[in-house]
Amino acid sequence: MFCLSEMEEDALKEFFNMGLGMAAASLSQMVNNEVLLSLPQLKVVPYEEATRMLVANEEEKLVAIRQNFTGELTGTALLIFPGAEGLELVRTLLNEHMPLEVLMELEQETLQDVGNVVLNAFLESFTQMMSLQFEFEAAEFLKGSSSFLLDISSHLAAQRLSLLAEADGEEERAFVLMMDFKTHDEEEAQHTLSGFVVLLFSQYSMEVLKRELKVILATL
Amino acid sequence: MDNKTVLVVDDSSLARMMIRKIFATSFKEWQLVEAKDGDEALGLPEGRLRLALLDFNMPGMNGIELAEKLMAKYPGLAVYLVTANIQERMHQRAESMGIGFIKKPIAESKIADILKPFA
Repeated sequence: MFCLSEMEEDALKEFFNMGLGMAAASLSQMVNNEVLLSLPQLKVVPYEEATRMLVANEEEKLVAIRQNFTGELTGTALLIFPGAEGLELVRTLLNEHMPLEVLMELEQETLQDVGNVVLNAFLESFTQMMSLQFEFEAAEFLKGSSSFLLDISSHLAAQRLSLLAEADGEEERAFVLMMDFKTHDEEEAQHTLSGFVVLLFSQYSMEVLKRELKVILATL
Repeated sequence: MDNKTVLVVDDSSLARMMIRKIFATSFKEWQLVEAKDGDEALGLPEGRLRLALLDFNMPGMNGIELAEKLMAKYPGLAVYLVTANIQERMHQRAESMGIGFIKKPIAESKIADILKPFA
């Protein structure tokens, strides 16, 4: 059974914290508002449980930007907004008084741009700390339930690697790294936006990450 | 001999280990005191601190809240937030309090820069 030592887990959380810190700084510039972050949560769970964790955290209807990455590290990064928060972000970014139908037309394109900036900033922290190469696929805009967002059959990279996991009889598992964020406006306390970031790594990538963490920790 | 003590507060042991290694390798004249959060830092026995390196996103109080308390407790203390998350409002608030920033990931050159006034 795959597991991480306490130090390895701590190190991974710290990378995640740094990544989302950079992402929050980018998002803060875009919304011209302070973005507050929660402390990172990390779990190694089967994909199904990852779905349940998301359901437990938020309502069924979600809007997300999903960005797969492939290479030495393979997995999925998701920037998720519950319910109408996605539209709220578009409203904040574009124009407060824009009619709803216009906002809805621009929702996909705008959120894809936001997702691209946030998730890239976030994933770059991994490349800063580790000598790993990976590439990002294009960001996808998704609307639906959490199980749909995490659906392994629609996740190209995991699809390929889950075959490897099945070969040694183990259930596909994933790192689930989650952090909540919300905007904070001191003048208009009611006008806030919230969401969360989820990072899933394939089984193979988890082993790669563990190896890489060992190397880093050995130098300290 | 001038006693140079630096307080490092970060909930991540990795972050603390990285800073510890930099000081142990390149700035051996400094003594390190570590804490994993604000409460632990404020509960440390009083001593002469010259410098504090604080994480921002920690359990309990955040880095700026801790800085405020430490600066009241140790007048003249130089405080830096060590974080990847540098946002405009946070920057303004910290700057108005005389707090500096070090952008994570931490590196020896970044520590060397802030230690220049202590040379």
